[in-house]
Amino acid sequence: MTLYSKWPWFLVLPGLIFLVIAFILPIAVLFANSLFDGSSLSLINYLNFVQDPVSQRAYLRTVKIAVIVTLLAMAFCYPAAYAVSRLSSKWRILLIALIILPLMTNSVARTFSWMVILGRQGLINNALKLIGLEPLRILYTENAVFIGLLHLFIPLMMLPLISAFENIPEDVELAARNLGASEWQIFLKIFMPLTAEGLAIGGILVFTGCVTAYVTPAILGGSRHLMLSTLLYQKASVTLDWVGATVVAVVMFITTLIVIYFIRLVSGTQRSKPAGSQ
Amino acid sequence: MKTSRFPLIVLMILLGFLIIPFLVVLIAAFGGDPSLRFPPSSFSLKWFKEIMSQKAFIKGFWVSVKVAGLSSLLSITIGVSIAYALARYSFRAKELVQLIATLPVIIPQLVVGLALLKYLVIKTNLSVIPALVIGHAALFIPYAVRIVLASLSNLPIDIEQSAVSLGASRFYTFFRIVLPNIRDAVLTSLILTFILSFNNVPVSLFLTDVGIATLPIQMLSYMEYNFDPSIAALSTLLIIFSAAVVFITERLIGLSQAFK
Repeated sequence: MTLYSKWPWFLVLPGLIFLVIAFILPIAVLFANSLFDGSSLSLINYLNFVQDPVSQRAYLRTVKIAVIVTLLAMAFCYPAAYAVSRLSSKWRILLIALIILPLMTNSVARTFSWMVILGRQGLINNALKLIGLEPLRILYTENAVFIGLLHLFIPLMMLPLISAFENIPEDVELAARNLGASEWQIFLKIFMPLTAEGLAIGGILVFTGCVTAYVTPAILGGSRHLMLSTLLYQKASVTLDWVGATVVAVVMFITTLIVIYFIRLVSGTQRSKPAGSQ
Repeated sequence: MKTSRFPLIVLMILLGFLIIPFLVVLIAAFGGDPSLRFPPSSFSLKWFKEIMSQKAFIKGFWVSVKVAGLSSLLSITIGVSIAYALARYSFRAKELVQLIATLPVIIPQLVVGLALLKYLVIKTNLSVIPALVIGHAALFIPYAVRIVLASLSNLPIDIEQSAVSLGASRFYTFFRIVLPNIRDAVLTSLILTFILSFNNVPVSLFLTDVGIATLPIQMLSYMEYNFDPSIAALSTLLIIFSAAVVFITERLIGLSQAFK
C-alpha cells in the first residue's frame, strides 16, 4: 500500500543524478571502451586476454580458488550454523556478534594476522622448529591465499545460514526424529530444502568475494600467484595498460554474474539480497 | 533430547579459526624484536610508540575519518530519500530506481575504483578527498536503502495517514512522525557505512594519491617494504576500534539485525 501517488522527483532525482554521474556513467564508458580498437568496434582486446598465458593462469587460478573456498566454507559453516541456531538466545547473540566482528575489521589487519601465523618466523614454523621439523613455505603460496580467503569470508557464509536455520522450528526436526527419520534423512529431506536459499546467498557472497578480493592475494599470494584482482591492479598501476585492466575488470564482472545466475538456478531461488562487505 | 555433537564440534573449530588470528596479532603487537616473529622473544610497548610517530599513519587515520564521516552522511541522505520514495509513493519507473540503487553492490569494487579514476577523477580533475567521498558514498547507498526500506516497511502506514489527514504537511510528517520511528535503522546504516568506508581498500586503492591516502592504503604500502610489528600494533588498535563499534551498536540497536 502506498501513501502518495505523485512522482516524488525531489526524493528520487538528486540520488539518481548522483548515482548516474558518480557510478553508472563511468562504468558504462569503461565497459564500452573495452570493445573498441582505436575507433572501430572489435573484440581484439578480449582476444588478447584469452591468448595471454599470464591472464589465462590468473583466470583459472581465480576460479579454482573461488570454487574451493566456497565449497570449504559451505562444508564447515553448514553444521556450525545449525549449532548456533540451536543455542539459547543469549549465546546466539554473543556468537553472532563474534562472527560479525571480523566483518567489521579492516581486511588489511585481518590478512596481516596470517602473515604472523604463516611467515618464516611465524607461529606455525616456530612450532615446527620446536618439535624438530623442517620449516614449511606457506606464506606467498596459493595455500596462504586459500586460508586467508576462507578466514575472510566465513562470516558471509555463516550469517545467511544461521538465519536460514533459525527459521526452521525445532518441532519439525523433533517430529521427524520421533517418526524415525535418520540423521541423513533429516538432513536431506528437511534441512536441505529449507536452507537452500541461505546456502545460495552465502555461496554467492563468498564466491563473488573471492573473485574480487584484492588485499588477500596481494599480501599472502605475493606477486607470483596473480589472481584476476591483482592482475587488474598490476595492469592499471604498474604497466599502465589501461585497456588490459579494463578487459580484466569486465571478465571479472561477467564471471561473477554467471556464477550468481548458476547458483540461483541450482538452488531455485530468485530473491536477491545485496552483498555483505568486502 | 539426544542429538549428535558433531555440529557443536565444527562450530568450536570454526570459532577457533576465526578468533586465533586476532589473538596472534594482539600478542605480536607487544613484541620487542626488531622484525616480526611469533611468539616474540621479548615484550615491549615500543611499536605503539612507533606508530604514533609515523606521520603517514596519523595522517591516513584522519583522511579515513574524514572520508568515512562525509561519505556515510551523503549515502544515508540519499539512501533515506530513495527508500522513502520506494516505500510510500507509487510511481512509474519504481523498479528502475530500485535497480539503480542496488547496482553498486553487484559491480566488483575494484572495477568501480578503476572506472571512477579513469572517467570521473581524471576527466574532472577531482582532488583526492572529494573523489573518495563520492566513490564510497555511491558504493554504500544500497546498504542504506536496504536497511531503511526494511524499517519503513515494518512501520504501519496508518500513523502517517492520520498525520496527513489531520493537516500535517508532508515535510512535517516526515521529520516529526517518520524519522523518529526509523531512527535505529538510520543509525545502523550510518555506523555500517562509516565502517565500510573506513576499511575500504579496492576503491581507495585507485582514488588515493602518493600524498593523501587512507589508513588501510598507508598500511598496505608500508607492508610492501617493512615486516615489523608496527602493523600488528596498528591492527590491534583497529581491532579494538571495531570491537567497540560492534559492542556499542549491539547494545544500542542490535547490529545483527543489519545482516539479516
